[in-house]
Amino acid sequence: MKLPGFLRGMPQVAWQEFLVNLKSVRLIIMGLLSALLIVGGAYGFTTLFSSGGGFGGLPPVVAWGHQAYASNGSHVAVVWVSDPYGAPVAGRSVEFTNRSPTGGEVALGTIPTDANGFARLDVGNSDYVSATVRAGTFTVGTGVVFYPPFVNFTTASLQGDFKRHGRSDGLALHVMDLRGNPAAANVSVNGTLTGSVNGYGYLLVDLPVEQSNVTVEVAGEAETFPTYVPGDSNGAPFTSGPDFVLVVIASLSFLVISIFAIVLSFDAVSKERVQGTMDLLLSRPTSRTGILLGKFLGAFGAVALPVTLVNLAGVGVITAVSGKGPTGSFAAAFVGVSLLLIAFYVLMQLIFSTFAKTSGTAVLFGVLVWLLFNILYTIVVAVVAGAVFYYDAAGYFRFTQVAGLGNPTSICSMLVSLAAPASLQGISGTSLEPAIPGAAAVVWFVGLLALALWTFHRKAGE
Amino acid sequence: MAPQPFLWTDALPAAVIEVEGLTKVYGGSRGVKALDNVTFQVPPKSVFGFLGPNGAGKTTTIRILGTVLEPTAGTIRIDGRDLRKESLKVKERLGLMPDEVLYYPTLTGLQHLVYYASFYGIRRSEARKRGRDLLEQVGLADALDKKVKAYSHGMRKRLSLAQCLLNDPDVMIMDEPASGLDPQGMRYYRDHIRWLAQQGKTIFLSSHMLYEVEQLCERVGIIDRGKIVAVDTIANLSARLSAGAPVVLHVTATGITEAALQAVAAIHGVTGVQPTPMGVDVTTQPGSDASAEVSRALVFAGAQLRALTTDQRSLEDLFLTLTKGGDA
Repeated sequence: MKLPGFLRGMPQVAWQEFLVNLKSVRLIIMGLLSALLIVGGAYGFTTLFSSGGGFGGLPPVVAWGHQAYASNGSHVAVVWVSDPYGAPVAGRSVEFTNRSPTGGEVALGTIPTDANGFARLDVGNSDYVSATVRAGTFTVGTGVVFYPPFVNFTTASLQGDFKRHGRSDGLALHVMDLRGNPAAANVSVNGTLTGSVNGYGYLLVDLPVEQSNVTVEVAGEAETFPTYVPGDSNGAPFTSGPDFVLVVIASLSFLVISIFAIVLSFDAVSKERVQGTMDLLLSRPTSRTGILLGKFLGAFGAVALPVTLVNLAGVGVITAVSGKGPTGSFAAAFVGVSLLLIAFYVLMQLIFSTFAKTSGTAVLFGVLVWLLFNILYTIVVAVVAGAVFYYDAAGYFRFTQVAGLGNPTSICSMLVSLAAPASLQGISGTSLEPAIPGAAAVVWFVGLLALALWTFHRKAGE
Repeated sequence: MAPQPFLWTDALPAAVIEVEGLTKVYGGSRGVKALDNVTFQVPPKSVFGFLGPNGAGKTTTIRILGTVLEPTAGTIRIDGRDLRKESLKVKERLGLMPDEVLYYPTLTGLQHLVYYASFYGIRRSEARKRGRDLLEQVGLADALDKKVKAYSHGMRKRLSLAQCLLNDPDVMIMDEPASGLDPQGMRYYRDHIRWLAQQGKTIFLSSHMLYEVEQLCERVGIIDRGKIVAVDTIANLSARLSAGAPVVLHVTATGITEAALQAVAAIHGVTGVQPTPMGVDVTTQPGSDASAEVSRALVFAGAQLRALTTDQRSLEDLFLTLTKGGDA
C-alpha cells in the first residue's frame, strides 16, 4: 500500500525510532526505574493501605501500661515494652511523668527496661502517670491510671492487622496482676477458650469479623470487653483499598512517565541534526510531515510499551496483594490516560528538540519542561491567583479550579480521577464537568501536534 | 545593470539543474541573507564544480538542492521538475552526499543502507543485496557488519558515497566528498566521480580542492558572499580573465647575447625583455602572440633554445581574483 505523499517516510522513520529506542540503554534504565517505583510502590502501598482501619500499620514497639500496688499500698506504674508480636525489648529508658492534676506535670524518673522488657516505678500516691519510651526514631507512650480495681488483674490490648492481610482482626493482650507481675490468664472469645498468656503476660488472639466479646480470666475472676472488626463494606474507602492505592500509584506513575517520555524523546530531532542524518532523511522521498509523525509514533511506542506493561503489572500486584483488584474502569482509565500523558510529553520534546541545535540544549529543554509542568506550574498558579484574586476569595477558588487545564499533567490527573469510584473523587478530583478536561486534552493534543509539525517544517533542515 | 563578464547568460540546452533567482534568508525577513539571487545551470552528464570561500553560501546551496532546506525565493528545476512542487518525484532520482555525517552509531554500515533503501520502496532482501554490492564497490566489504561508531573518517565518507548511490540517482549532489581524506582516498574519489560521470550521472560537486575540481570539472560556478560571481567552463573563464592582461613568454635558452636581446626587443608588440637565470622573460602587448618571432630572433642570434612557455591562468588565479583573495 502506498501512503499519500504527505505521509511518505512515516512508517520507516517510526519503526527505526522505535527499534533504536527499544535497544537503548536509557530505555532499559527508565524501564527498570518505572518498574521499581510503580510495581514496587503498588506492593508497598497495598500492604500499607489495605488494612480495614485505614493507615493501620502496627507500631514498631508497644508500651503496655498497668497499675500495680506495693505491699505498703504505694502506687507502682508498670510498663512492659515489646514489639507488637510480644518479643520483649530490653535496655530502653522509660520516662515516667506525673500527670495527676494534684501534683502537676513533674518528671518522676527514668527506668531502663529489664531483660524481660519491664520497667517499674513507685509513684507514691499519684493517680495518673504517663510513660514514654524511645525506640530508634519512634517514641511510644502509654498512660497508667490508678483507679480502684474491679478484679485482681489489669489488661492492656492492641487491635490491628497482625496477619497483614487487610483486616484488623488481631488482638494482642497483656495481662498483669496487681503486684505488677505477669498474670496466669486464660482468654476466651465469644465464650470459647482460645489460649493462655505466656510468661510475659502476652497473648495474640484472632477475632471474627463484626462484634465479639473477649473474656480474660485470672484465678477465678473474669473481665469481658467488646471488640469490633470491620467487614469489607465498612472500611473507609478513601483511605484504603485497591482503588485508593491506585490513586497513589497514578500520581507516582505520572511523575515517572513524564520523565520517561522526556528521557527517550528529548533529542529525537536534535540528535539526527548533530549526527548529520537529518539531511539524509530529508533528501529521501519523504515528507516532513511523514518524518515528524514517524518520530512521534516511534518514540511514543517505545515509551508506551514498557510503561503499559509496568502499569498493568502494578494493577496486577495491587490485585494479588489485596485480594481484589481496583475498579475496572478506573484501572483502564489509568492505563489509557498514561498513554495520553506520554503523547503530550513526547510531542513537547519533539517541538523543543527541533529548536535545539545541540544535545546540551535539548537536555536543558527537557529538564525545563518537566520542572515547568510538575513543580513550577503549581507555584506560578498560586502566585498568579494570589496576585490577581487577593481580595476575591471566590475568584481565587474558581481560578485554581480551571488553572489545571493549562497543564497537561493536571489534565491527565483530572481524567483519571473522573473515572475513579465516587468515594475517591474527593481526593484528587475536580469540580469541572467531565467534558471540560476531555476537551482540554483534545485541544492540547491537537495544538501540540500542529505546533510540532509547524516547527519541524520550518526548522528541520536549519 | 552593468554586464557581468564571468556569467554565462545564455540558457544551456537541456540543462539538468536549473537554478534561478535562488535566495535564502536565515532568521526571518531581517535575518542574514545567505544566498542572493543565485542563478546557474548544470548541463547533463557532467561534473559541475561549485567553488567559494568559507561562508560564501556553498553548503546552503547544496542543502537547498538536496531538499534539506527550503529556499526563501527562487526556483529550482531538476530534470525539468520544479523542486518545490514535485519534490517527492525529484528526490526519487536524486542522491545527496553531505559533507560530514556521523550516522547512527549503533547501526552497521549495511543496516544504514537497508534503512535508507526502505524509503525508495526497495524490498528488504533486495536492499540487503544492493547494500552489500555498494559497500563492496566503495571498499567497505569487510566492514559492512561493523557498527558505524567503529568507522574511521574515511570509511564514513565511503559509506556516504554508498548511500548516495542506493537509488541509482541521475543527479548527485556532493559536498566536499574528499575532504579530510589521505592522498589514496582523494585519488579514489576522483577516479570514482570520473567513472560516475562516464556512467551518465550529472554531478554537482562542491569542493575546497581546486586541483580536484580542475581535474574533474569542465564547468564551474563560483560563489562569493551569497552571490554567483562566475559560471562557465574553466577554459572560457581563464581566457576571459587573461583578456586585457600582458602576455609573458618564459624562454629557457643558453648563449643569449646582448645582440639577441636587442633583436627580441625590436619585435613588434614586445614591451619588455628581462634576462633570467634560465634565459629570458619577454612581455608582449595584450592579445598579441609573438612567440614565433621571439624564437626565430633568438635562434638567428645564436642562442640555443630549449623551451618557450606562456603564463596559464590557473583555476586558483581565477578563484582568488573573483573572490578577492578569499579562502576556498
